[in-house]
Amino acid sequence: MFRLAIEKALNHLINVNNIDLKLIDNKIISLRVDEIDLGLFFLCLNSRIFVIERLQNKKTDVSIVMNKASFLAMFEGSTLEELLEAEDIEINGSVNTAQQLANLLASSSIDIEELISQYTGDIVAHKIGQAFRQFKEASISNHGSVISNIKDEITTAIVAPSRSKLFKGRY
Amino acid sequence: MEKTTHFGYKQVDVEKKQGLVKGVFDSVAGKYDLMNDVMSMGTHRLWKNYTIASSNVSKGDHVLDIAGGTGDLAIKFRKKVGPTGKVILSDINESMLFEGRKNLLNHGVIDVDFVQANAESLPFDDGTFDCVSIAFGLRNVTHKDLALEQMFRVLKKGGTLLILEFSKVENQMLEKIYDLYSFNLIPKFGEFFANDEDSYQYLAESIRKHPDQETLKTMVLNAGFEFCEYHNLSGGIVALHKAIKA
Repeated sequence: MFRLAIEKALNHLINVNNIDLKLIDNKIISLRVDEIDLGLFFLCLNSRIFVIERLQNKKTDVSIVMNKASFLAMFEGSTLEELLEAEDIEINGSVNTAQQLANLLASSSIDIEELISQYTGDIVAHKIGQAFRQFKEASISNHGSVISNIKDEITTAIVAPSRSKLFKGRY
Repeated sequence: MEKTTHFGYKQVDVEKKQGLVKGVFDSVAGKYDLMNDVMSMGTHRLWKNYTIASSNVSKGDHVLDIAGGTGDLAIKFRKKVGPTGKVILSDINESMLFEGRKNLLNHGVIDVDFVQANAESLPFDDGTFDCVSIAFGLRNVTHKDLALEQMFRVLKKGGTLLILEFSKVENQMLEKIYDLYSFNLIPKFGEFFANDEDSYQYLAESIRKHPDQETLKTMVLNAGFEFCEYHNLSGGIVALHKAIKA
């Protein structure tokens, strides 16, 4: 169901905005997010994207491996180059191709909370979603990057938990 | 080529199966939708909705619905492809096409083409369609491998094949209940609602003779498709195989 939701969201975006897919046309891109054990293959053919769970002995053109934080950052709009610089992500193959998929994912109407809940359970996903929204709002108001906000927040949570938004109201 | 094949649990001459299946569908055509609702308790509508949602069909696409019967899928595909797209409903059985045409008219759908065709020799050019679907039809086809090759042929590169069909139930307990239901109640429903117990006995038997999920997936890949995944619905009572021509 989750795979189907991503596929539908991406293709809806492509159709509504008439997006040119030439960078990823005829390409197989694998995306793996460690920590939440998410692994999907994106196949672009006939001006649409297919999302599949298992690849039958086919070679991927680009493979992206990232952690949960960079995955969330990607949805917020951080470029893969930024994530590469921060060494939060591994890409084998063309970064431009990977970036077009990342742009599509970030621009789509995928519900990040729903997506992660498939892998972590609803409560954890809800917390991640909540934190993600807080960071996103903070980024918009501070004009800062999501990555630096996440890092700041984690640092605050470790050094001074009482001042962290994550623990706000729990003391 | 084998000389006999199954018709439900009976072995019959290969050349006779098509006529026997025709007899079944000539008999059930008039009550087909009613019986589907009764037998599946309405669940077939959810299975079909899931199939449409999985189709990846968009505006302007060309869709072929094989064994389209009373046109449930064709109506939904018509909405998805919009005025620039095209939907063809094909069925080997004239009575089912007649019911399909009636049903579509009742739904106000007039721009679907009807073609009487055998799935084993589709009368369409190579690479014509963005999507080919067959719902609850493949198990009645005598030479399934030939039909799958034809579906592959008429699809464009990047086209999608959707096979919605009864399959192998995953859970043993559910399987027992399902067996009890399909061999005892379904023929009785057939007798009560459609005055035709034998046809519904065949339908129940033909489900058990149909290849299971993995076997059908292998057959699909052997027909030339590069990717094939299946999704069990209602515990495997039904499976949707989705294949992509790459």
